[in-house]
Amino acid sequence: MVLVLFILVPIVYPQEYVVHVLGLAIIFAIASLALQLLLGFAGLLSIGQAAFLGIGAYTSAILTTTYKLPFELAFLAAGLSAGIASLTLVPITRLRGVYLAVATLGFTIIIHLVLLNEEWLTGGPFGILNIPWPSLGPWRLRGETSIYYLCLAILVATFIALRRLIPSRFGRALQAIMLDEDAARASGIDLTYYKSQAFVVAAVITGFAGSLFAHHSQYLNPNDFTFWKSIEILLMVAVGGIGSFAGAVTGAFVVTLLPEFLRAADEYRMVIFGAMLIVFMGLGHRGLAGLFSAVAVRVLQRRPLAEQAPAPGLSRQ
Amino acid sequence: MSGSQFVELLVGGLAIGCIYSLIALGFTMIIRASGVLHFAQGELVMLGAMFGVTAHRLLPLPFAPLLLVGMVFGGLAAVAIELGVYRTLRVRRIPLINITIATIGMSILLQNTGQLVWGSEPIAYPKLFATTGYSLGPAHVAPQLVWIIGMGVLFMLLLQLFLAFTRTGRAMQAAAQRPETAQLMGINLTRITAYTYGIAGALGGGAGVLLGSLFYASFNMGFLPAIKAFVAATLGGLGSIGGAMFGGIIFGLIETFAAIWVSTSYKDAVGMVMLILILLVWPEGLVGLMRKGR
Repeated sequence: MVLVLFILVPIVYPQEYVVHVLGLAIIFAIASLALQLLLGFAGLLSIGQAAFLGIGAYTSAILTTTYKLPFELAFLAAGLSAGIASLTLVPITRLRGVYLAVATLGFTIIIHLVLLNEEWLTGGPFGILNIPWPSLGPWRLRGETSIYYLCLAILVATFIALRRLIPSRFGRALQAIMLDEDAARASGIDLTYYKSQAFVVAAVITGFAGSLFAHHSQYLNPNDFTFWKSIEILLMVAVGGIGSFAGAVTGAFVVTLLPEFLRAADEYRMVIFGAMLIVFMGLGHRGLAGLFSAVAVRVLQRRPLAEQAPAPGLSRQ
Repeated sequence: MSGSQFVELLVGGLAIGCIYSLIALGFTMIIRASGVLHFAQGELVMLGAMFGVTAHRLLPLPFAPLLLVGMVFGGLAAVAIELGVYRTLRVRRIPLINITIATIGMSILLQNTGQLVWGSEPIAYPKLFATTGYSLGPAHVAPQLVWIIGMGVLFMLLLQLFLAFTRTGRAMQAAAQRPETAQLMGINLTRITAYTYGIAGALGGGAGVLLGSLFYASFNMGFLPAIKAFVAATLGGLGSIGGAMFGGIIFGLIETFAAIWVSTSYKDAVGMVMLILILLVWPEGLVGLMRKGR
């Protein structure tokens, strides 16, 4: 039903700006799904996602502008390069909690400096201009609406893929690691193998999101990929609720769209945003997703025939 | 590099390192007391610097009382945040990760409130120091840097004495190690945590006046130095008081010398690469390494 709503939006609201901002929210929803896999299902707190977003975005942009490669190839290369970059970080997945967070934060700062200073490759502080619209085979997607549908399709594909991943052997191993590392190791789960695999999978997905970001904005600037962006992606997951993929998508929409809605408050906009963030966090670790399912359960309980399906991802408790 | 240039860089690196140490100590004290990674620490730095500037406008005080103003207001702000917001979250048994993310919200809130109150333009700090440098052999050292190092070291010593010898300080140490046991021994955890935030805020506010006097004051001046100070605390050994002091100074020196020996654009990257390498080899940081070597 929600999907139908998303498909209808550009038809009901054909303003370019609205569709543009929604497209951006969808791209960040893909990135926050990837972080949800790390944080909610493997317990890996990464503040390095902006680095993979940036690597994906720049790979895609450079391949389509300088080398005139078609979008499909550049898109795949974006995921690949982010994945390869994450391989260099595999050793740090051994670190726990805050240490992993700081190490990934450091990685974001390094990548941002590379994007800012390697002018021959990335255009330096001026960024990359005139990134072409994406193309799919013979079709060239032009305009905000068609790229919106492309992003939406990729979001849905990512969502379904991750949902299917969780009940697999891989997904169950991750959850076991998150609940108790020592018990998981004692049960014969190779911690480093599974953790680093989750890390690479998340990086590849974030790289894809980066490619979409490049072709959606058609302009890249190193300042889109500072550690602040990493923190923003973390906020999306936390606001939506840690441990729920639907929550990650909701959180991405709230964090991207809330400042737009608060435009009316003008200069108090970010003050209100900060205060609302604190209030959201006060809802507990299940975030907005938890709040929705609590409300839903309360409503459904009044009806005798209602089936109470547990919200996705909450089964870990 | 000539000897005099080396001495000048060394003093500059030590000065910025002392500022990082003061901020890092705030992170460390809070993470020990409540397990929270306090992202709004940088905004306490900003508040200290801003209140310092405002106080100087009202009454042209010399450096030392101005520093005190920054510390008092930084401390008060931190206590107010702790009692008003973080304590409420803790009482509601909100998980740590959520409280940590709420501190990001607090950081956004304070930064933008600061922008509303003091505007978005950087504010030049008043001239507080003599401009003629001290001579150390052929090297010239600005009195300001010497003051910053002196004050930084003084505060670190005072903090150590406070934690080791006063009743409140020892209660803080006890509460950080075993909160439940400390409570059974009659320590009021609410009050001790508020004190801890107060001290962390005072260190941050003081660092703000020092940092402001070195560059300028602006609403977003605190965020990046605080991130670096946190990295420095991890480099030294997260959760250790000595580690925060040592890590801050080391980080300041790395940053200063990397700007000369590597490149100005990559000076931050050098510190981060060091951090990742050190975490991989010795996850407990430099202090943990020394303890092991003993």
